[in-house]
Amino acid sequence: MAGLKEIRIRIASVKSTQKITSAMKMVAAARLRKSQEKITRLRPYANKLDQVLHSIQKALEGDIESELIRPREPEKILVILVTSNRGLCGAFNVNVLKKTLKLVEEKYSKQNQNKKVSFFAIGKKGADSLKSLHLNTEGINTEIFDDLTFKNTTLLAEHFMQLFTDGTYDRIEVVYNQFKNAAIQNVVTETFLPLSFEEEQKETGPMLDYIIEPNSRYLIQELIPKSLKIKMFKIIIDSFTSEHGARMTAMHQATDNASDLIRELSLHYNKARQSAITKEILDIVGGAEALK
Amino acid sequence: MYLEIITPEEKVFSGEIKLIRVPGTKGSFEILQNHAPIISTLEKGDIKVISSSGKEEHFEINGGLIEVSDNKIIVLGEFI
Repeated sequence: MAGLKEIRIRIASVKSTQKITSAMKMVAAARLRKSQEKITRLRPYANKLDQVLHSIQKALEGDIESELIRPREPEKILVILVTSNRGLCGAFNVNVLKKTLKLVEEKYSKQNQNKKVSFFAIGKKGADSLKSLHLNTEGINTEIFDDLTFKNTTLLAEHFMQLFTDGTYDRIEVVYNQFKNAAIQNVVTETFLPLSFEEEQKETGPMLDYIIEPNSRYLIQELIPKSLKIKMFKIIIDSFTSEHGARMTAMHQATDNASDLIRELSLHYNKARQSAITKEILDIVGGAEALK
Repeated sequence: MYLEIITPEEKVFSGEIKLIRVPGTKGSFEILQNHAPIISTLEKGDIKVISSSGKEEHFEINGGLIEVSDNKIIVLGEFI
């Protein structure tokens, strides 16, 4: 058994680690709340836009002239990984990477053999993984989380739309953590471009007899890029919120583990102390006995 | 009529109003009580709102969308 002093030092060190992890948990919880508010504020806008887009799309019966929704033979693929800038958030980033590699292997193995699959990393952790795996990297963006505004994600979305429309890529996929609740994050793959309407076939109800200005066709052409920008914003906020959720859970677990460790070490410490005292008493009694 | 002006990041205005003037793509137009249902894209410009109490307010937008139905107006705006 380790000496008393060593155990004492270990207890002190575990205690200070526990303080750090519980502080990080608190910070993550505060950020999570803030981030969740952003999602809540986005919802009315996104829902309305979706509703209008769907009803007009239905009215036009697919007769839409837009480069952004026309599917092409997927020859050149771009996969966007949305990860975090910071670690200590459990399996958050690893899950994204795993899902990405699985996606490429299952869906785009042919393109991958021809070296037609590229990756774009949002977040430092994703960029690091791409580098260490020597994957074909289109670009990285790590600044987005420093100032997460609609304006900044719009620039990003426009960049991807540009890459799609000028034919650099035929399909753009996004892999990210979708926010369910503080404890659960789902890693999902979504096709960012071309935009498809089929994924959410919810009933929007009968369309009122709207006057449409200037006309449906113009309107939908305006709305498609808008909807993509909102999608990008939502993806990044979702991932950011998930990150805080994941970190909160991870730090909560770390704090619990530290408590367990401290309890165990204290038990050892007390046992060692007890036996040291017993030994000392025996020594004294033995010495006194010898003097008689 | 009830007006809501929202952006992806916040709700800029909500409340009862008497009149709203928006920069539509086909030209600026005003909406009063019982306007026919309309959806229109908006251009960069100024939104004028007169609330029920008669207070006038202005909002600068960089484009957007307006939907009016049943005396409920929603403006999806993009701000600079």
